[in-house]
Amino acid sequence: MRLSLRILSTLAMTLLPIMALWGTLFYFTMVREINDEADDSLEQYASLIITRCREGRALPSLNSGSNNSYTLQPVTTAEAEAHLSPTFHDEEMFIPEKNEREPARVMTIAFRDNDDRYLLLTVATPTFEKDDLVETILWWTVSLFALLMIVVIIVSTLSVRRTLRPLYALLSWLDGYTPGQGHHTIPNDTDIKELSRLNEAAESAVNRSEDMLDRQKQFIGNASHELQTPLAVVSNRVEYLINQTAPTEEQLTELVKIDRSLRHSIRLNRTLLQLVRIESGEVAESDDVDIAELVRESADRCTEIYEDRAMECQVTTPEHLYIYINETLARTLISNLIKNAFVHSAPQSHIEVTLHDATLRISNDGTEALDHSLVFDRFYTQTSREGSTGLGLAIVKSICDHYRYGLTYDYKNGRHHFTVTLK
Amino acid sequence: MKILIIEDEPSLRELIERAMRSEGYRTETAEDFISAETKLAGYNYDCILLDIMLPGGSGLDLLKRLRTEGRRENVIIISARDSVDDRVDGLELGADDYLPKPFHTSELVARVRSVLRRGRTGGSLTIDIGNISLDPASRRVTIDGRVVELLKKEFDILLYFMQRPEHLVDKAVLAEAVWGDYADESDNFHFVYAQIKNLRRKLEDAAADMCIRSVYGFGYKFSPVDAEK
Repeated sequence: MRLSLRILSTLAMTLLPIMALWGTLFYFTMVREINDEADDSLEQYASLIITRCREGRALPSLNSGSNNSYTLQPVTTAEAEAHLSPTFHDEEMFIPEKNEREPARVMTIAFRDNDDRYLLLTVATPTFEKDDLVETILWWTVSLFALLMIVVIIVSTLSVRRTLRPLYALLSWLDGYTPGQGHHTIPNDTDIKELSRLNEAAESAVNRSEDMLDRQKQFIGNASHELQTPLAVVSNRVEYLINQTAPTEEQLTELVKIDRSLRHSIRLNRTLLQLVRIESGEVAESDDVDIAELVRESADRCTEIYEDRAMECQVTTPEHLYIYINETLARTLISNLIKNAFVHSAPQSHIEVTLHDATLRISNDGTEALDHSLVFDRFYTQTSREGSTGLGLAIVKSICDHYRYGLTYDYKNGRHHFTVTLK
Repeated sequence: MKILIIEDEPSLRELIERAMRSEGYRTETAEDFISAETKLAGYNYDCILLDIMLPGGSGLDLLKRLRTEGRRENVIIISARDSVDDRVDGLELGADDYLPKPFHTSELVARVRSVLRRGRTGGSLTIDIGNISLDPASRRVTIDGRVVELLKKEFDILLYFMQRPEHLVDKAVLAEAVWGDYADESDNFHFVYAQIKNLRRKLEDAAADMCIRSVYGFGYKFSPVDAEK
């Protein structure tokens, strides 16, 4: 929910009951005021009739032009005693002149005339229509409410948009931020204290995570580096045992197995170090490298090594395609992708390698799609395969990231497709 | 032949020393910058194995000093700093070879041998074992003076064996050395067998003194034809 909408709905929720309460109170206050006025005039009118009646003067005619009307009727003492003080009430009255019923304010009082008889005087005056009043007040209240809402929408939208401009700037900055790719300072062009604090907090959080990332990279680099010498020492000692100590066949078999595992560790370690180097931008200088040549060479090597699996590899490349890149990395990029296709394909399957318009496409048969979000992660493998470092595609990704090449994976019609856009 | 081993890691130093001694070289060692400096100031060596990162200073500085003093010792840099920059710096400063760690001592021995040989023969890197002679630079192989035509892979395999005579070579290691990283996930070695078979035939046809023997199904040994198995 947008912030301006949130402000609006909160205000609406708060204002609605307040306005309803206000309308109701206003209605009752109005009614009381009007009744007070009407009652006062009825009292005056009544006292005029009573005075005239007691003095024996002519009573006002019933149709005197005013809307007031009255009736006089003799009552018993008992009945009169209930009405010695004036009572008021509202009543629908028939107005003969208008020939319709109208709401009226009615006052009843009993008095004794000169003949000591009790008379009950009922005076009435037409008054306002309550329904009309309710309707009018409701209408004005609703209008006021609507007007307030419109004002609130305009003011809150405008002010939110203007006030939060730095926030939107921060958001678009964060959207464009990739950890480890280096960053520009967060724009902090605001005099609003909270937002300025937010920018500072974001900046320091980003710096902290950059720091952590750097330290983590450094750690992996250092760890791999420190492991190299002991691994080499062990491997050399194994080689010494193999060649200089005349081991038995059984011992020799074990020693060779140990050596293979060791070489695997050494390779894994070296690859990890390479990955860290690429990720931290430590790449030696580039050159114009013939990618087409490398692609053909890689495909040939793989075809040779995996010959017994009888896979058909169809390579389509232009004669030459020169790209400005570090040659070792270009070789690693291409060989890892092509090797990956060979290693993960069933015997007799079909591999297609196409280089066209600086786009390298490699596709091979598969049984199910790989997880798009994990396929380029370190140590993501579907099958645990002896000799595999699980870093091949992670290296491909880091090389592509370093040179800002596009790298995508798709699964279509039972085939894995890897595409690298070399520009 | 006297070799100076400048390496700070004791275990590695011991291994290198042992490997050099078993080749019949005399060795001296230095474990840091100062002691290496002292040794170099006092003696001459045929070959210096130089680590770059040393306690007390950089191996590259030692190399620089040797060259400014006009000394012609062969220098092989051995360094864990497996980066192209170091390699380029080292070779530009006049190192004869560069071997990144981790390496196998057999590899180092082969390099030392070839560097020393080059020093003696004035530039030629030819390796001679028995009646086989192999020149890595021109990729030419002669047996008993006659040229033997080898395909690229056959040549690479023979070169690997020539650098490690009488050593047991695991076929997985051979595959990686010749085919590179492509081979590391292969589940069999048919592609190695095929090449070995052809190479064996060519060696036999040319009446070579050396042959490639299979050892227990997992490796090979390059040894004289008449040797006991």
